[in-house]
Amino acid sequence: MGHGKFNRRDFLRLSALTAAGSILAACSEPETKVVKETVEVEITREVEKEVTVKETVVVAASPETAELTYMGWGAGPEEDAILAGIEKFQEETPGVTVQWMHNASNKHLDKLLSMVAAGTPPDTAFISTGVYTRFAEEGVLLDVTEMLHGDPVLGMEGYFIPQEYERSVYKGSWYGIGFCALAGHFYYNGALFEEAGIDPPSNDPAEAWDWDHFLEVATLLTVDANGKHPGEDGFDSDNIKRWGVNYGRWGIPGHGAVFANDGKIINKQTGLLELDQPAAVEAIQRVADLSLVHHVMPESAVMEELGMGTSQMLETGVLAMTVDGQWALSYLNQLNIPLGTGVAPKMVKPACDITTPFQGILAGTKYPEVAWKWLRFLAGPWYQRQLCSIGLWLPNQTSLLTENGVKNWITPGIHPDGYEKIASEYVMKYGRNIYMPPGYQEALQQYITPALDSVWNGNKSAAQVLGPAVESANQILEENKS
Amino acid sequence: MTNRWIRRLVPSRQTRIGYAFISPFILGFILWLLIPMLVSVWLVTREWDLITPPRFAGLANIQRLARDPMFFQSLKVTAYYACVSVPLSMTIAFLAALLMNSKVPGINVFRTIYYMPSIVPAVAVAVMWSWILNTQFGLLNHFLQSLAGVKIRWLQDPKWAMPALMLMSFWSFGTTMVIYLAGLQGIPNVYYEAAEMDGAGRLSKLRHVTIPLMSPQIFFTLIMGIIGSFQTFTAGYLMTGGGPENATLFYVLYLYRNGFRFFKMGYAATLAWVLFFVILGLTAMVFRGVGRRVYYAAD
Repeated sequence: MGHGKFNRRDFLRLSALTAAGSILAACSEPETKVVKETVEVEITREVEKEVTVKETVVVAASPETAELTYMGWGAGPEEDAILAGIEKFQEETPGVTVQWMHNASNKHLDKLLSMVAAGTPPDTAFISTGVYTRFAEEGVLLDVTEMLHGDPVLGMEGYFIPQEYERSVYKGSWYGIGFCALAGHFYYNGALFEEAGIDPPSNDPAEAWDWDHFLEVATLLTVDANGKHPGEDGFDSDNIKRWGVNYGRWGIPGHGAVFANDGKIINKQTGLLELDQPAAVEAIQRVADLSLVHHVMPESAVMEELGMGTSQMLETGVLAMTVDGQWALSYLNQLNIPLGTGVAPKMVKPACDITTPFQGILAGTKYPEVAWKWLRFLAGPWYQRQLCSIGLWLPNQTSLLTENGVKNWITPGIHPDGYEKIASEYVMKYGRNIYMPPGYQEALQQYITPALDSVWNGNKSAAQVLGPAVESANQILEENKS
Repeated sequence: MTNRWIRRLVPSRQTRIGYAFISPFILGFILWLLIPMLVSVWLVTREWDLITPPRFAGLANIQRLARDPMFFQSLKVTAYYACVSVPLSMTIAFLAALLMNSKVPGINVFRTIYYMPSIVPAVAVAVMWSWILNTQFGLLNHFLQSLAGVKIRWLQDPKWAMPALMLMSFWSFGTTMVIYLAGLQGIPNVYYEAAEMDGAGRLSKLRHVTIPLMSPQIFFTLIMGIIGSFQTFTAGYLMTGGGPENATLFYVLYLYRNGFRFFKMGYAATLAWVLFFVILGLTAMVFRGVGRRVYYAAD
């Protein structure tokens, strides 16, 4: 080796310098430019008289060019719709870009908490229902009350369904806006109903099945390997060829069952659980008995956790109907069966749980006004239409629930005939929220979930376990009250 | 004179080069292990919900341990898992290693096949075993029903959920098997020849030659098995969520929940240090009890 030759030592020195330079460049903050401009936006809205009014509203220009970060979850059609929304917003708001930060849904909260703890929160994010009140209480979320009330569209009286005002307002202020409305309802294989000569469930809550009729239908549709139905001599519960129903044991469907028996999950005034009250106890036991006593539902809770069992079971005829969240329509509509929908069965009255996560602005954002523009876009008609039209969401905006409004998002081929009644009747008139105060997740995971496990497994009855479980869970809720 | 002192303080060129090479590790150790450990000690005396600054809490987190039923439940569940799965998986790995030590054609293929499960990612293992253990449609219940006419609610019955997870853990015995295989191949043949000359049969050779000379590997895998089993997380997190009825509420899963679900990072840090001392205590006990019986051929 001599002078002027590029030897191994030179190579190592150059590599180290390049690596160090790259690390330094990656750690530097991006520049921001300041640009002022005025943007005119045309807004179309339908009022109660179904008269289309076009208004031109001058929206205050963003004072600067900004790159917003937006963190959330979603895959397949949901993520495609989010990305399309970002593109549309960026077209309407020159100078502002939105960087989408995707997480797996079960990792989202961990990531968000870590970023908040590190002092580098995203500008906007999905805020899970279970942490909304805690984040609001601790000042993690930006109070958007004034911006919302001053908004020419979102601030209109009756823009949202009443349940939205109830859940988004915490101690008198708005800290986020709910995505949409959710609802648990029937999905069924129409061919099996036709074959059995049974009328399927209706999308109209006025025609909701009562629990006894639902049980009767589920029994008729459940068949063992010998063609016997539950209750008949020789019925073999270990060899069932087709189950009548899969009823989500907890979450949106299970909560809906408690509401359908006029029960409560939690009292918003006291902030304490009321799952030990007779109505809730009875509802939970009825759902458990679908598999334990009546043998019309598969025992395996693992099917639900895996999340893919229901589709396959419906398509292959192993399952006749299921009660699941409305988001399932976004993938169940692709099944090769005549898919139908209907409102979930009532016990005392029709009811559904419409609790949904929120879109929120983190208080640490450097661009609160720009972030508000993004939030109002997400809560606006265009964005909601996109996600409702793919079968993922139900509207929480009244303009999309009028007779003409539903035509903007009902999609033939995705939404079965009559589906608009799920939104305009079922959700509007019978949808209920669950208030989740600070400590709710802990109370549920520590005491309620293990107690419910013993009910679903048939080891104990709901009446035996829910009393002590709720008492212990309420201690956690009391500790978290501040 | 001064130059000599300066020369003593300044490390030699070779020493400097050595430190330069290990500096990435030292930096990583300080940034991602030492500093977090010191911070976690500090957090034991703090209440921290990750979203507001930590507040001084004195000994509240330690006092909370005594009245937390889930702390005792998670410790009991994890100890049960460790006490059963560690000896059994070591036994399975040892027997497999004895088989893999045979001189048969194509033995390398068998060694590869038996090793491969241990390199499958944990999430894939969890999803696959969720199906195998499925009450209605799982492979395991299909065989049980054909052979014995029984169906076990593996992941739904609190009595069977933990045995189900133990069964899953046995499947990944490959790494331990390879360690034992290396140990078996290091045993000089002269010992077996001497034993044969004394009339020892197969079992005698196993008991008096193989196992004593394998004692360093067995000791090592026992220690590592105890440390690893007390830190089990993935199976409980992905497959059972700690249920049913907290029957699979592993200690680290409970620790994680306190930190990231219940907004109690200070209490989670306390749990972490309790785990550290539990594992340290068990390791010390094993060293004292079993360590003296380990035979090192070089001695």
